[in-house]
Amino acid sequence: MEAGGDTAAPAPEDAEDLEDTRFPSKEARNGGGVHEDPPDPGDGSLEKTESDTEDQPPGLLPQSEAPSCTYGLWDPAASENSPPGGPESGSGSQGGDPSDEDWRSKRKHVFVLSEAGKPIYSRYGSVEALSTTMGVMTALVSFVQSAGDAIRAIYAEDHKLVFLQQGPLLLVAVSRTPQSAAQLRGELLAVHAQIVSTLTRASVARIFARKQNYDLRRLLAGSERTLDRLLDSVERDPGALLLGAVRCVPLARPLRDALGALLRRCTAPGLALSVLAVGGRLVTAAQERTVLAECRLDPADLQLLLDWVGAPAFAAGEAWAPVCLPRFNPDGFFYAYVARLDAMPVCLLLLGTDPEAFHDMATCRRLVEDGMHTLGAMRALREAASFSNAPSASASAYSVQAVGAPGLRHFLYKPLDIPDHHRQLPQFTSPELEAPYSREEERQRLSDLYHRLHARLHNTSRPLRLIYHVAEKETLLAWVTSKFELYTCLSPLVTKAGAILVVTKLLRWVKKEEDRLFIRYPPKYSTPPAAPAASADQASHNGLLSGP
Amino acid sequence: MRKPDGKIVLLGDMNVGKTSLLQRYMERRFTDTVSTVGGAFYLKQWRSYNISIWDTAGTHAAVCRGYRLLTSWGSLISCVDALGPASRWREQFHGLGSMYCRGAAAVILTYDVNHTQSLLELEDRFLGLTDTARADCLFAIVGNKVDLSEDGPGESRQEGGGGPGPAGSGCAAPRLPRQVQPEDAVALYKKIIKYKMLDEKDVPAAEQMCFETSAKTGHNVDLLFETLFDMVVPVILRQRAQGPPQTVDIASYRPPARTKSGCCA
Repeated sequence: MEAGGDTAAPAPEDAEDLEDTRFPSKEARNGGGVHEDPPDPGDGSLEKTESDTEDQPPGLLPQSEAPSCTYGLWDPAASENSPPGGPESGSGSQGGDPSDEDWRSKRKHVFVLSEAGKPIYSRYGSVEALSTTMGVMTALVSFVQSAGDAIRAIYAEDHKLVFLQQGPLLLVAVSRTPQSAAQLRGELLAVHAQIVSTLTRASVARIFARKQNYDLRRLLAGSERTLDRLLDSVERDPGALLLGAVRCVPLARPLRDALGALLRRCTAPGLALSVLAVGGRLVTAAQERTVLAECRLDPADLQLLLDWVGAPAFAAGEAWAPVCLPRFNPDGFFYAYVARLDAMPVCLLLLGTDPEAFHDMATCRRLVEDGMHTLGAMRALREAASFSNAPSASASAYSVQAVGAPGLRHFLYKPLDIPDHHRQLPQFTSPELEAPYSREEERQRLSDLYHRLHARLHNTSRPLRLIYHVAEKETLLAWVTSKFELYTCLSPLVTKAGAILVVTKLLRWVKKEEDRLFIRYPPKYSTPPAAPAASADQASHNGLLSGP
Repeated sequence: MRKPDGKIVLLGDMNVGKTSLLQRYMERRFTDTVSTVGGAFYLKQWRSYNISIWDTAGTHAAVCRGYRLLTSWGSLISCVDALGPASRWREQFHGLGSMYCRGAAAVILTYDVNHTQSLLELEDRFLGLTDTARADCLFAIVGNKVDLSEDGPGESRQEGGGGPGPAGSGCAAPRLPRQVQPEDAVALYKKIIKYKMLDEKDVPAAEQMCFETSAKTGHNVDLLFETLFDMVVPVILRQRAQGPPQTVDIASYRPPARTKSGCCA
């Protein structure tokens, strides 16, 4: 293997060395974990932290106590511990240097790296400046691995470090938000799913099996922004990831049913799934029976698609791109046709199995568009889209005022009493975030509170059903029953009796509006396409459409 | 749907400005664009012809799948080796990359004049994709971002209605000497002709097919697209004379079956 000749790799590395990273010998990690790169200012720091790690008794589980070195790396107060390498600002790599105050002050870092310690993604800063830090993470993982164990999390005062190994990828969250380790792990899983959706799990595995020090950023370039948006949404508009549910566009039931029927009617060869969405929220979706008969779409996959089609890249033209649904099949690609209808925020996604079917999908899109005009749906959706008073036309939501319960500021409501065949489509609803939650800090605070309450409700050792929480600037009530899961945010002046009154009012309102707020009866399956003669040979290629 | 008569594909490494070039031509403006996902399809009416334009993603992930050690890649390997150190590792392109190019009448290979690697990537990664294009496919080699280099055309050359980009990087950034000379593009063009096993006499001259553009100022952008459209028209006519094109003709089965099923009811 002539890996050394690769012009694209930053520096020639030896594959044998990299394999050694699994072993906790110091030499091996110096060769593999850190590797590459011209004189790294942080080099001294790594030497130091590594020896610190080794000073730990081998039997000590990292779960129980944080190795002091790691703590030192993240805690701004511990900056005097920084190695004799001293002022590292001269390295020229701004914003990503672990000694950079601004970088250190971020609430939540998320890193993705390869097993060999090669940086793939960092939420903040430039990954180049972080090779030392990532080397330490690899070292920690290898160290625990060598004892036949797997590192899951480190709790260090106000920081949580969560590790998630997925095949050849290592994902790490370093957070001082009140999120629980389980919630952070959920976020890391979503980040991983996003990467798999671009590359498939099989090709990630294949790439690293061939060349352990491959720079995966070459393949992922462009998708970092999608990961950024995913992580930002957790703090700015919580719900989807927290509740594991999709948000629907509120719409009168007859219109939604008609749109569902329209999607079912408009088919194309190899079409597996059609989705109508506005600003990352679901209008309706239809699945093709012959393609997805047994396996209903996982809500995580649907949410991933909704996030994906919300990307600014799809704002113009008709896009045709491969996409993998990690829960459905992490090793295969679907081909997605994405277009904005009528230059509106309404987005149509058609997912098929045939890489050549672009023109069939484009034809199908025109059928959907015509059908929507006939239904007058465009106007209704435009109204739904413009309801929001947010400057971005992307949100199609409603104001909390609609509930008519004074004192209620915001809520998340996830119905659990949905009929059995709807269980596959978990949904939630929440109003637009309005004042006082218009600024980012305020939204973060609310998101933190929701996460804290969610963690308490779903605590594995001591789950709760009802929490009444008086915070500094608001009062919250979280309640989970067999029928729903509810998080409400109320004015700080509300009394306990008043809060109960508001929640009763809210529940009554949701009940009244549920046909509009949720997809109560999701369309089941499309009718199989009439298999036009010209597509018969195409159909036999993908094997999915063959058969009666 | 208007059926496209001819197809043009934009290929090139990421961040060379493919989407910006197309946006400058189609919408007469320049803005910060985002990474293209997969390929985006546009239709342009030129005279009485509909020309489809595929704007593809420069990222590997979007256009290629699979990865394997290529032991031989015919003449191309030797071309690449002659240019400098190259590894034996190459992405193997199949999947959508070649789909976007299937039956293409013209391919616009785009690079960044301030970035030598982007020119090398063209033959390294993107030329292989064009194997599915028409045999008489035209190749244009386009060096974009000339506004960023010292000897590029000045700001005064600004054309079109669009204002300068919001970032204003062109004004703020110090102008550096460009890395790719026009001769390098001409050399690549000749190499491509050789790779396609064509005779230089049968194809348009290199000087005619190598462009230097700036999507930001609009420099040469109209010239590029309109020259190409004019050259594609004879290809379309030839294609019509030859009969069915290589692509699957979806129009042939679409109307009768679909209207009967009553989709638009």
